Amino acid sequence: MDGFLITVLSNIGMISFVALSAYILLLSGQISFGQQAYFGIGAYVAGIATVMWSWPLAAALVLGAFVAGAAAGLVGLVTLRLSGIYFAMATLAFAEIMRIAAELFVYRREIGGIETGPDGIDGFRDIRYLFANDISPFQSCLIVYALLVAVLATLFIVERTRGGRMLRQVGEDPLLAEVNGIDVMRVRIAAALSAGAVAGLGGGLYAHLLTYVEPRSFDIMLGVHALAYGLIGGLGTALGPLLGVLIDIGLLESTRVFRGYRMIVFGGLVAVLLIVRPRGLLDEVAISRIRQALRRWRHAGD
Amino acid sequence: MVALDLAQNTLDGLMVGSSYALLAIGFTLIFGVMRRLNLAYGPTIMAGVYLGTAAFISLGAPILVVLAIVILGASLVGLYVERLCFRPFGEGARTASMVASFALWMQIEEAAMHLLPRHMNPFPALVASAPLEIGPLMLRADHLVMLAATLLIAGAATYLLARTKLGLAIRAVIDQPRAAAIVGIDVERVMMLTFVLASAIGGIAGFLIAATDAQVTAMIGMWATTKGLVAMMLGGLGSVKGAIAGGLLLGVLEAHAQWFLGPQVRDMVAWGLLFVLLAFWPGGLMGAKALDRTMAVGRRV
Amino acid sequence: MLELQGLSKHFGGVRAVDSLDLRITPGQIFGLIGPNGSGKSTTVNLITGLLPVTRGSIKLAGEEITNLPTHVRLSTGIARTFQNIRLFGQLTVWQNLWVAENARAQRERASFLSRWLGGERGARTRITRALEFSGLADKADELAANLAFGEQRRLELARAMAAEPKLLLLDEPAAGMNPEEIGALDDRIRQIRDSGITVLLIEHHMELIMAIADRIAVLNFGQKIAEGTPAEIQSNPAVREAYLGTAA
Repeated sequence: MDGFLITVLSNIGMISFVALSAYILLLSGQISFGQQAYFGIGAYVAGIATVMWSWPLAAALVLGAFVAGAAAGLVGLVTLRLSGIYFAMATLAFAEIMRIAAELFVYRREIGGIETGPDGIDGFRDIRYLFANDISPFQSCLIVYALLVAVLATLFIVERTRGGRMLRQVGEDPLLAEVNGIDVMRVRIAAALSAGAVAGLGGGLYAHLLTYVEPRSFDIMLGVHALAYGLIGGLGTALGPLLGVLIDIGLLESTRVFRGYRMIVFGGLVAVLLIVRPRGLLDEVAISRIRQALRRWRHAGD
Repeated sequence: MVALDLAQNTLDGLMVGSSYALLAIGFTLIFGVMRRLNLAYGPTIMAGVYLGTAAFISLGAPILVVLAIVILGASLVGLYVERLCFRPFGEGARTASMVASFALWMQIEEAAMHLLPRHMNPFPALVASAPLEIGPLMLRADHLVMLAATLLIAGAATYLLARTKLGLAIRAVIDQPRAAAIVGIDVERVMMLTFVLASAIGGIAGFLIAATDAQVTAMIGMWATTKGLVAMMLGGLGSVKGAIAGGLLLGVLEAHAQWFLGPQVRDMVAWGLLFVLLAFWPGGLMGAKALDRTMAVGRRV
Repeated sequence: MLELQGLSKHFGGVRAVDSLDLRITPGQIFGLIGPNGSGKSTTVNLITGLLPVTRGSIKLAGEEITNLPTHVRLSTGIARTFQNIRLFGQLTVWQNLWVAENARAQRERASFLSRWLGGERGARTRITRALEFSGLADKADELAANLAFGEQRRLELARAMAAEPKLLLLDEPAAGMNPEEIGALDDRIRQIRDSGITVLLIEHHMELIMAIADRIAVLNFGQKIAEGTPAEIQSNPAVREAYLGTAA
């Protein structure tokens, strides 16, 4: 496979983590402008773990996801009783605080004779774990997709459990959910926590595949894009946000068909698409149709 | 000396804050009528300012013509945003509406970059006189013009809302869209007019800020969206008064933070204040009642 | 079964419910009627915890529940329907019923994990029965939003029943129904009572309530102005005054 294709595929995979993160919160009925914060936290923490503490990659990724999830849970505790624009703005405020904190964050140490570590606004460079361990771009792309598939599989399983249903119920009508015996706050915190961890995992991968991360990598643009991907692709299934990423990065950014006019085309397209399908291409109705068709097809085979 | 610094910072902050206040008024009007966030508000302003800048650069248009082009451009682009992101969406699709406005943000910014590809462009300066000295304090004349313009527009907006028929219709739609429709108000028309009005106010804010800097950068769209949003939220997104208070507060806070702590911490302080306010005091400075109302709507059984 | 003592709810200066005393004995259909704005729906919202109580107490089967959070009340045995139907429209009929079934699991003190990670298997027979009871068996995979109005009402009732409540609050279940549907509803509510569930029925439709209620209380301006059997209520002058504006 040629290098360009691998890079594009890896990008699609990594951004999918943030899109899934925003999607999980969307399911719980909350609009977050700030999932990029947890992406950033995961990137810095995982990077520090391999570079400064010489941890193995797997452990570093787990730590990044864990810290990001914990941070998201804590932020959730104080913000999740807000809703609508209040919640959206609180998440954005937190993400911007984290981004500026990263601009101020300097933690330099001498590792193997070279000074390295996060260096304020210049970001965190030389995260060379993959190089140092002879992992090729193709192999690292495989790692990204293996983890993405694992996250997706977990989401699919959760969707079939009562917890997953509760998530959708809370998202659709929190009051009705409460009357039906669901502890809305608890469900939302669980959602925020897992959304933070998923974004953190993506961030850890990003830092290692690109060998650097800078505060600019997780500004508001990443957060709002992540939110948009779910709505474009559809909120009926976890594949929706992936479809959104695929359309934007895979089809438009990478094919260079509309070079220089990509956003003019894409922006208008998205607006029109949302008018026709306000919950995205693969929305609940589409998914329910597909399920019914599958069931009928299976019965016909009997 | 610290006392003098404090006074000078406060003064500077009030001046810059007045442009934030204008942005917040525009945001508040749109949010009040639509109950949805218009993320393309900043880019709408950018489009107006860029059109004005293009006229200034290529045709040497005088400053008043530039002002007219900016206002007209912002209003037209505002109308476009309303048509594509707000009118076609029902109450049930608020998120879709907001994401559509984000899509147009991207679209408008790219179009603006085609118009003026350079990151920084010159803009006609407002007043080129030396700063006024009031005792030990310095006051830039163009800042004074900005403050005066803000007060004038805020006054006009308040008058419009309180005393005119259109204002009455706008307030009715903000309060009870369905009831307003029943008593014969053309809700769609009111929404459109409010949108255009808010975009024009935003255009003036964009013009003022570009004219005091005598330049305009590609960051102006993002700048207007975030500053306007923060100022509106600080004011509690309930009223024109709240928007002004929020804008001025943000300006003063940033001036002090910049002086004492540097530019990076300045932005952090503004976001930090917003976060703390939302998490622990979500009514904002003046919007407690408005919040009650939105909560009541949300909790209606 | 349900006991309200001095229950009050004030909105600013308005006393929506004003020192209301009510005792509902088990196995009854208890009717709550009153003109518009007399505080019926507020009372239901207080009992289900959607609104905080200003003063007074609510007891269910002798247990104090006044300050319990809303989501816990279902597992104490209170289920409700809404005046304007509330369903999870983007979920299927089956999934709408599945959620309510959660309350039973909660009551049986199933662990947090097994409740969250539990699949639909355990609930299957119960949900199938609920679907058959409400005549929705062939619509299990349909999105709730796509059902006809009458079907949505039936689904709402089935959902409340799936929680296996001790007390069922019905908030104007006949609103928008035709006479034939009301007849069916009448039978269904009786069946529910006969299965041992206490019913608190709020209704505008006088014929329905007079026909099936065992006992009726009348509210006006948040206060109880009369209580008794349907016959007693029909001949009560205070009730007539409240409804007709004058003493007839």
